[in-house]
Amino acid sequence: MSTRVNPELRNELIKFGIGDWNACYHCGTCTAICPLSENGFLFPRKKIRLMQMGLQDQLTASVEPWLCYYCGDCTETCPRDANPGELMMSLRRYLTSVYDWTGLSKKFYTSKVWEIAFILVFAALVTAFFLVLLPSMGYHFTKELTAEGGVKVNSFAPPDLVEWLDWGMAITVACLLVSNILRMYYNIVWKSGKTTVSLWVHIREFWLLIFNFGVQPKFSKCSNRNYWGAHWLLMSGYVIMFILIVVYLPWFQTEKIHAWWHPQRSLGYYATFGLLFGLSFAFIGRLRKSSVKFRFSHVSDWLFIVMLTLTVVTGILVHIFRINGMASATYVCYIAHIAVLVPMILIEVPFSKWSHLAYRPFAAYFQQLQKFAVPR
Amino acid sequence: MDMKNHPQTGLFFHYTVTSNGNHIDYKELASYVAGMDPSVKVWTCAEVPCTEAHIREQIGSENLERLILAGEMPGLVKPLFTKCMALEKKDPANVSIVSFSEYGIRKGETDRAKQLLACALNEIPFEIAAMPEEVPVNPATLVIGGGITGIQAALEIAYANFPVYLLEKTGTIGGKMATFDKTFPTLDCAACILTPKMVEVNQQPNIRLMTYSEVTGVSGVPGDYKVKVLKKARKVNVNTCIGCGTCAEKCPASVPSEFDAGTTLRKAIYMPFPQAVPNKYMVDADSCIYLKTGKCKACVKACPVPNCINLDEQDETVEINVGNIIVATGYKPFDAKRVPQYGFGKFPNVVTSLEFERLLNASGPTGGNIHLRSVDKKGNPVFTTDAPQPERIAIVHCVGSRDKNYNKYCSRVCCMYSLKFAHLILDKISDAEVYEYFIDMRSFGKGYEEFYERIREENVNIIRGKTAKVEESKGKLVIRGEDILKAEVIEQEVDMVVLSVGLEPCDETARLAEMLKIPQSEGGWFEESNYNTSSTGTFRGGIFIAGACQGPKDIPDCVAQGSAAAARAIRSVMKGTIPLDVIELPLAQIEKRIKELQPVI
Repeated sequence: MSTRVNPELRNELIKFGIGDWNACYHCGTCTAICPLSENGFLFPRKKIRLMQMGLQDQLTASVEPWLCYYCGDCTETCPRDANPGELMMSLRRYLTSVYDWTGLSKKFYTSKVWEIAFILVFAALVTAFFLVLLPSMGYHFTKELTAEGGVKVNSFAPPDLVEWLDWGMAITVACLLVSNILRMYYNIVWKSGKTTVSLWVHIREFWLLIFNFGVQPKFSKCSNRNYWGAHWLLMSGYVIMFILIVVYLPWFQTEKIHAWWHPQRSLGYYATFGLLFGLSFAFIGRLRKSSVKFRFSHVSDWLFIVMLTLTVVTGILVHIFRINGMASATYVCYIAHIAVLVPMILIEVPFSKWSHLAYRPFAAYFQQLQKFAVPR
Repeated sequence: MDMKNHPQTGLFFHYTVTSNGNHIDYKELASYVAGMDPSVKVWTCAEVPCTEAHIREQIGSENLERLILAGEMPGLVKPLFTKCMALEKKDPANVSIVSFSEYGIRKGETDRAKQLLACALNEIPFEIAAMPEEVPVNPATLVIGGGITGIQAALEIAYANFPVYLLEKTGTIGGKMATFDKTFPTLDCAACILTPKMVEVNQQPNIRLMTYSEVTGVSGVPGDYKVKVLKKARKVNVNTCIGCGTCAEKCPASVPSEFDAGTTLRKAIYMPFPQAVPNKYMVDADSCIYLKTGKCKACVKACPVPNCINLDEQDETVEINVGNIIVATGYKPFDAKRVPQYGFGKFPNVVTSLEFERLLNASGPTGGNIHLRSVDKKGNPVFTTDAPQPERIAIVHCVGSRDKNYNKYCSRVCCMYSLKFAHLILDKISDAEVYEYFIDMRSFGKGYEEFYERIREENVNIIRGKTAKVEESKGKLVIRGEDILKAEVIEQEVDMVVLSVGLEPCDETARLAEMLKIPQSEGGWFEESNYNTSSTGTFRGGIFIAGACQGPKDIPDCVAQGSAAAARAIRSVMKGTIPLDVIELPLAQIEKRIKELQPVI
């Protein structure tokens, strides 16, 4: 197989935030200092080499960028200030856009205008849905309170209808992600054509995918385990909230006020705590630039945590206002909550930073498949 | 000042305005020229655009016969002006340029710019007007630093029959080279080359050796420098001490030996090393028990020579007059503790190259046998011959060099001395496994590449890839790095790790630079006046730099620079006069010269 060099790769990659990779003189410090780099799957240096040489095919077939969890040790010890940690981060952005067949990912990563316009349009659509469409269908605001003194939120936003829309959004996002993961699988496992992996290996190693999705074992091997802890709290909080909202919305969004220990409330409280803890960790870190991981923030990094924080804060406010019978405030916050949530999910999960929820566990799975690959 | 009658002249300032403003105050220059000759038409590129039409109009309307283009890079626009002159039927040869950047005029040096303009307007070459005044020179030369460079420079001057002061900060001359075992690439015994030269210094009647002394102030002009020297109290009379060592035997205080890079202990009264010059004892005031508590004097009681040891002797300051000064203060090794991932100071068998040099040396702590560092009864790490010999040794290149976290420059000597280490290890332990981890192998000198080839054939594992960290596992040291050429991460178990530390300017460099009024270049080294053509010269007359204080270099280069600096000092001493510094020439002096020269030229 011939090796094709793309001299334009540099100009392509710079758009995703990659800095001066020509500074690298290939001493190998980054690879050796990294606790996650292992023989057969070496990074960051080897990936920098591919970038320098414009070997686009090999770069897009790399699983390694997803195996890096960005502890920053490489950037701290790099003798050339080449910033390998951020180079790997930029590569992940690039690869996300490579897997995405719609082309939107590239637009969002390389253009603030596109990203913000998309958010505003969907926020407007959601607001119109609540203020125009629902009233026309007979659902109205009511200042009347329930017997317990709570707000009658269900009469304004019927949980059955909202749950249908939830499912619609979830399926759309899932379809996009699955098609992108198939492209990722093709690039990483299939494309080289030199090796093959048996179906049995695919089935046998499938548990790794679930394990990596739930626990992120690789992340915990980074030199600073605090990142893993904060991320796990955030992740578990979000997963619980996601399940509650998509699968159990009629049970979750009630007008009845349960006791605080009731699973409907206590699960919600845990999820809120996890989300707030993880978000403040990221916020404070990125503002203070306290470590290498947080020193270089791309627009997509900020947008993700800002939108998620807005979602969480409006969600908390809905809860407080509802219990205390503050009807107008509840409705306003409810609309704001959904108006942030919908564009966030639609942008972040299939096209942007949050796609890592799928790519990272799949990368761990694909890495394992490659280990058992046999020559064709 | 009066002007010769010149044809109608136009002066054009050409410059670019940078973000931090202009280098030179052009308004001030314009008014200076107007004061000198009001008939000169002055305009700038800001007032009249630099286009053919505008320039021709200017030449035509003012009837200019002669043009002077001044600015940062006026040569760029000269062809345009020449063309305009020709088109206006004037003599195109009458366009001259005054380039400020060519004369290295820095921000705010408006006076120098005025000097150049005055010369150009009067058609007198600046080099002739600025020919510096020659002043008589004091025949004595001061050499600061008694390492191999300083010794070489002092000997060259002394053999030319001129007096030299050789100043040394420590108690003996010899410097870093005296601690080395072998030199690369010839594998000569370092002491065998150096000690005869050290003895020569002591016996040369033209050399006045001042050890344990420091420069505290410099004043004067080229040819006549007054240098204040702090002579620290040695507390042992150099003239009567017989070097018997009885005092050191009785001395109860022990501290790490500087000469042995801390691998052995010395007493508070000590001779730095057996071949020290002067071969006399001295007292370290910081560790002497008597000087700290007022009680002890064990050395005084033991000394067989009456009144030889005087523990109450005080430091004194003397002033010496010299015509030339040669700075040869050398370097200090990079502190390996600054790279925590290599574990120096934490793991006893991670050693620096200077420690390893002593370990290899027959006069070192183990008599030249390589042994692991062990812990003595008091818990202090020591080298003894009782400890086992290492079977595997790793040598880590580029510690503190070529690294933007520490020093970004290449220290030049580490690759070669590391290769030398590999050879010497196999020389002493023939079945040892030696691993060298390098980024790029810089074997640049005569015979160096051949030396590298030779070591490569000697069963040494030379691996491309910088060591990322050194860890300890089951009592062994583990080197973690990437083998770039094989593309795999390696975890190599070894018994001993040698860190090839880089070179840094001495701590005193900044203080000396301030006293001598010579600048430091990037990295803190002394700055030479011209990198290619005057590597030993400085921007001040009569002050020269030589050896590693100018930048990292190996022994042959240091010796060459020592001789070169000596030659430059001898040049003025033999001639009897030395030019004053051009840089200090005032504007009034140039104006006076122009007046004197006008009838001549």
